[in-house]
Amino acid sequence: MMNTRTMRKYVAVGAAAAMSLAALTACSSNGESADGTTTLTFWHNGTADPILSIWQDAVDEYEAQNENITIDVVPIQNEDFATKIPLALSSDNPPDIYFNQGGGLLATQVQSGQVADITELTSDWIGDLGAAAGNWSVDGVQYGIPYASQVVGFWYRTDLFEEAGITATPTTLAELSAAVDKLKAAGIAPIAVGGKDRWPDAFYYNTFAVRECGEDVLKQGLADADLSDPCFTRAGQAVIDFIATEPFQDGFNGTPAQQGAGSSAGLVANGEAAMELQGTWDKSVMQGLTDTDLNPLLGWFPFPAVEGGAGDPSATLGGGDGFSCTQEHAAECADFLEFLSSDEIQTKLVESQVVAIPVKEAASAAITDPVIKSVYDFNSEAAYVQTYFDIALPTGVGSALNDAVANLFAGQGTAESVAEAVAAAK
Amino acid sequence: MSTSSAAVATSVTAAAGAAAPPRSTRRRSKLRKRLELALLLGPASILFVGFVFMPLIAAAYYSLFDWNGFGPLTDFVGIDNYTRALGDPLFQGAIGHNLFIVVASLIVQLPLSIALALLLNGKIRGRTGLRLLVFTPYVLSEAVTAVIWLSLLQPHGVVDGLLENAGLGGLVQLWLADQNVVMFTLFAVVTWKYIGFGIILFLAGLQGVPEELREAAAIDGASPWQTTRLIVVPLLGPTIRIWIFLSIIGSLQLFDLVWIMTLGGPAGASTTMASYLIDRGFRRYEFGFGSAVAIILFIFCFVFALVYQRFALRRDTQGALTGRVE
Amino acid sequence: MTPVRYLAALLIIGVTVAPLLFVILGGFRTNAQINSDPAGFPSPWVFSNYANILTSESFWKFLGNSALISFSSTAIAVGLGSMAAFALSRYRFRGREALYSMFTIGLLFPLGVAILPVYLLLRQLHLLESWVGVALPQAAFALPVTIIILRPFMAAIPSEIEDAAVVDGATSLGFFWRILLPLSQPALVTVSVLAFITSWNGYLLPLLVFNDPANFTLPLGVATFQSQYSQDTASILAFTALSMIPALLLFTFAERRIVGGLTGSVKG
Repeated sequence: MMNTRTMRKYVAVGAAAAMSLAALTACSSNGESADGTTTLTFWHNGTADPILSIWQDAVDEYEAQNENITIDVVPIQNEDFATKIPLALSSDNPPDIYFNQGGGLLATQVQSGQVADITELTSDWIGDLGAAAGNWSVDGVQYGIPYASQVVGFWYRTDLFEEAGITATPTTLAELSAAVDKLKAAGIAPIAVGGKDRWPDAFYYNTFAVRECGEDVLKQGLADADLSDPCFTRAGQAVIDFIATEPFQDGFNGTPAQQGAGSSAGLVANGEAAMELQGTWDKSVMQGLTDTDLNPLLGWFPFPAVEGGAGDPSATLGGGDGFSCTQEHAAECADFLEFLSSDEIQTKLVESQVVAIPVKEAASAAITDPVIKSVYDFNSEAAYVQTYFDIALPTGVGSALNDAVANLFAGQGTAESVAEAVAAAK
Repeated sequence: MSTSSAAVATSVTAAAGAAAPPRSTRRRSKLRKRLELALLLGPASILFVGFVFMPLIAAAYYSLFDWNGFGPLTDFVGIDNYTRALGDPLFQGAIGHNLFIVVASLIVQLPLSIALALLLNGKIRGRTGLRLLVFTPYVLSEAVTAVIWLSLLQPHGVVDGLLENAGLGGLVQLWLADQNVVMFTLFAVVTWKYIGFGIILFLAGLQGVPEELREAAAIDGASPWQTTRLIVVPLLGPTIRIWIFLSIIGSLQLFDLVWIMTLGGPAGASTTMASYLIDRGFRRYEFGFGSAVAIILFIFCFVFALVYQRFALRRDTQGALTGRVE
Repeated sequence: MTPVRYLAALLIIGVTVAPLLFVILGGFRTNAQINSDPAGFPSPWVFSNYANILTSESFWKFLGNSALISFSSTAIAVGLGSMAAFALSRYRFRGREALYSMFTIGLLFPLGVAILPVYLLLRQLHLLESWVGVALPQAAFALPVTIIILRPFMAAIPSEIEDAAVVDGATSLGFFWRILLPLSQPALVTVSVLAFITSWNGYLLPLLVFNDPANFTLPLGVATFQSQYSQDTASILAFTALSMIPALLLFTFAERRIVGGLTGSVKG
């Protein structure tokens, strides 16, 4: 073995070489290289096909049409976004284009000063995206665009319902409980829920609140982050009562929503659970977790009506997916977003069943599956769509709400816990 | 320097410094000595103070504000962050989980390490190979360990499969999904990772226990258990104390395993102080609050170390923390 | 007693090594094989998982990033630490013990405790997304262990050697560089290996510093890979197995040093 002195010399030289190398690479990290190509980073949450390929193909096509632009595509698992985006917005080099669900989530991100105002850059074409775009504006300033709208309802296995002898989809809470009982009797896990990720739990609280609370009370409560109205307490109680009927799969508190065959989506996909309260993206997620063709096996029904609830029975929980730009390459980003909003790409998203409710009307003609069509129609006819609470609220408050609901699912807390958590987190 | 220094330096006490030079050159060499000290100690001190102390002082300052990490600190809230953290049932639970790991390590890992070290202390063929294998989990990163066990502990995964094959299907649990089980599961993984380290440490410590003492005790009629309890274990004292110190500090800052395997769930059943800190401080843009949690965590470590050093490590004259070099 | 010893040894090896074997073998199976028989042997042996990862750019990039950061952080920690240990062991000056205590306090809290303000400091220094932003804090937090192990070692070197060097006309720093360091080689190797392993295995700091996957270190890369390809168990196992190799290789080379060094400071 060489003596210490020579070894240390090697280490010193090596470190020096490494440092100079790093210095060289650091110089050209601002996205522009000598030959005038601009490199953009594109963060999206479509880690699995078909959406993975759709975005990649879109990027390839855009790069072919725009020779001076290169786009680095970075797919990131949906659950990791909550960690990575705050860190990215806190740093010197946030991604140029990134996945964003709008609402209070976006408003919190805007505080970083890194999210680009694209009002001017999109004014020509944002009108084509419909009213949904409003959820990506904060105080009248456009900070992002949507590419899909979503609603939340029960995806269910038609074959398992048949097996359990359920003849009609539940329209009231009582009917839902009856269906749960029949499924249990048939030895099938009635409802799968991804408790580990917490936001699937919150879907239940949110939807009960949509049922219990009148529209104005609901919107005002969320705008003020004040859930003291008794209707929210009733929603909390409804969640507790519902959990008490034990409708979920074993170990629901530790089940992830979308990752792997053991996730709640995977359970329904593989026929191990009969229902899941999820958004419109879930069908494509489920299909990705099984080789069986789910088209003839999946149905959908909206969250049942709740007796005595002040909410409009056709109101629903929902939201959307979209993208935002950061300051440095806002113009290039906005141009790319216009490209992504084209009818062609919207149609592709619809055809692959990744998106059930496109933002461009024209793409809706591509819906062939009757179940998805029913979802689309339901959305059109809904009295209003309430954005998921954790997205509507600022990030910290939304997380506190999800945690409080997750606690209810874990058997801790009271009907007032959620409102209390929100008040404490404000 | 002069030859008189060589004469002075023939004293036998272990060297701890340069011998004194003659008076005439002392002033010049004093300045030189100061320069040398500055050169030798400066860089390390600056790096250390800069990245270890300054951040803590900064954290103490940030902790007094409600701050989302962007822009200036404007919202002074005093000790509000501290009261909120200490009053948060989730954080209280986190403290409890850390303490659980600490206590469980002491109760389970310590005796187990010593026992296994004693068992393996004889002349076994392939002893070096054994040391190598046993130490392996310690060398892996916690992140890799977490990914490995996440895979093994999947419902209907390897662990479940093996238990069922062995006819112990009734023992199958929802290792990471059951609130009542998850901390035990995490502790088991921690033990898997660090038991080899303990065994090796105590094997080395046992080298310092003379065989003659044990033989003498046996001749005097002591049973193996008595010998162990009354002779071996006390002689392992310094080793045990160091193991305890390292174990507790490690337990207090448990993060990687938790973050990757459970993210603190389900419903906060496996949250640790460090995972709570990262979740609140970074994911929720609450940098002031997160700083308060960091200070609380630091105080835990600091108080423990002070108390421990005072009561437990005092006796070790060559103990690293007492810092006295004879 | 011997049969009991052998049994204990086998049991320990079993529990320790079995999970690692599962990971390594699992990489040679397909997901279908794993799902149908979680604890079984590969049949047939599938090489595509390992092949795909070994030919993928990202694995080698992660490896390279980890190497860069770990070598640098080790060089800095051991370089600066040995200089400080030299001063603290062979010079007498006022405040020496206080300074030494300052360094030992660093043992009390590892990087995980200070991570939030360290992150903010790195942000201020514009060191985020840079390997320097990981190497420097890691080096800083490795200083306590380095100094604590080196100081008694350096102190124990007889003063006669130093005096002889002085007589030969060496300056203190010359003595340090030409005599003390070579004599301290065993301890230097120990602290280098410890610092290297700690840096190599770091997860939290890289998690917070790096957004661009091209800059990820290996542990961070493994965790991200697992999250992104969560249904592709076989690939995850192959990736994990491959990422264990550097640590295991280093360990086989340096095992005596790590174990010796740690136990050396125990025995005093």
